[in-house]
Amino acid sequence: MSQTEQKIIRKAAAGDRAAFRELVLEHSHAMFRLAWRLTSDETAAEDIVQEAFIKAWRKLESFRMEASLRSWLHRITVNTAMDYLRKQSTRKRFETEEPEWESIPQAAETPNTDAQIDIRVQTEAAMQQLSKTERSALMLKHFEGHSINEIAQILEMTTGACKQTIFRAVKKMRIALRPLVTT
Amino acid sequence: MTNITAKHITDDDLVLLFYGEHDDPELAAIVACSTELSARFDALRAELKLVDTFVPPHRGDDYGSDVWQQISPRLADETAQSKGRIQAWLSSFTQPRFSFGGALAFVLVAALAFTLGRNNGPDGITTPTDPLQATGIVLAGIDSARLLTSAISGHLEQVDLVLTQFANTSVALAGDADRATGMLVANRLYRQAAVSQGKHKLAAFLAELEPLLIELAYEAHTASPVSRERMQKEVRNGLLFRVRVMNKQLNNSQISA
Repeated sequence: MSQTEQKIIRKAAAGDRAAFRELVLEHSHAMFRLAWRLTSDETAAEDIVQEAFIKAWRKLESFRMEASLRSWLHRITVNTAMDYLRKQSTRKRFETEEPEWESIPQAAETPNTDAQIDIRVQTEAAMQQLSKTERSALMLKHFEGHSINEIAQILEMTTGACKQTIFRAVKKMRIALRPLVTT
Repeated sequence: MTNITAKHITDDDLVLLFYGEHDDPELAAIVACSTELSARFDALRAELKLVDTFVPPHRGDDYGSDVWQQISPRLADETAQSKGRIQAWLSSFTQPRFSFGGALAFVLVAALAFTLGRNNGPDGITTPTDPLQATGIVLAGIDSARLLTSAISGHLEQVDLVLTQFANTSVALAGDADRATGMLVANRLYRQAAVSQGKHKLAAFLAELEPLLIELAYEAHTASPVSRERMQKEVRNGLLFRVRVMNKQLNNSQISA
């Protein structure tokens, strides 16, 4: 972590709103991407990002400078997303199941061909088959590049359990995606 | 000598290799030398490549400001509540045939040559009882360390080009992400090969490049101007220079060797 970033974090932790604003501007996009990848829901992802920043503001005093702010914010984002998904699954038990097509989210980069649409839709469908923890672990590894040790800390599990979670997630994704690979 | 043999390599080992997390730095060489394992690794890579299509909706450049507008009024409340909580607390008492980039072949050959070279007896006499050893004889004359150095030097030149382009353009270019993804996987394998040859300083440097390559692969094309500027600043204010210095050192070591 650079000295400039440390200075900003210290100021923000001491209640400096302008400093905290800098952190929000810096990390919003990345946190949104992570939240969306965990929920596949654009509105929920936006809410999660806001909620995560409120929590970060509240807990910033407890942040240790030797840790990575990015990992710390990811941990808060994952926990907030998990809470959201738990609430959602509870709510769904009392509601009529939605047709599957309605839950397919919109992605910004519109695919050009039917084949690309099919791949994206099936990738998202495959992602829905993962458990919350498997999905989080895979997203943190594949897109965020965290080490297995970091992911274990973020998800509050042992390194061994984290590895197995990633293996399971990869295995499920491979089974689902294998038919789409063109040779 | 490595404890792992081609027969015992599982898909989980290949997953760890793909993500640059396998404990055995010689695994890449073992995979490279086996047609079957290379095919399995390529299949894994092709399938996981499809995960990259899981692209989030785009947020505009003002998204960070929008978030701030939304949460800013709530922070004041939180501050007051937080002070209350603190007071309450105080009063009571937190293989060379991988299909991703020709340069990668060099590192795998180098790693293979190194592994086989180490496995040969001190007198250099080997009995070609299996394909691994037979290939070892062919490669016995290769200075594997020099081959690896040369391959990594080529890799760093590619990194230099991509970083220079990134640092000097204000918008993401088509193909940037794909190039970065290829370089990311190659970088992980080069790092492992460097570890296997005891080049720890070089391995540490390659490890340092990884977070930026991940950002270039998955984030740069959707990053806000603020994030992009931050990444560009990181590249300009040192990383690019360090890539060049490291590459120069590698070239000098090749000349003096």
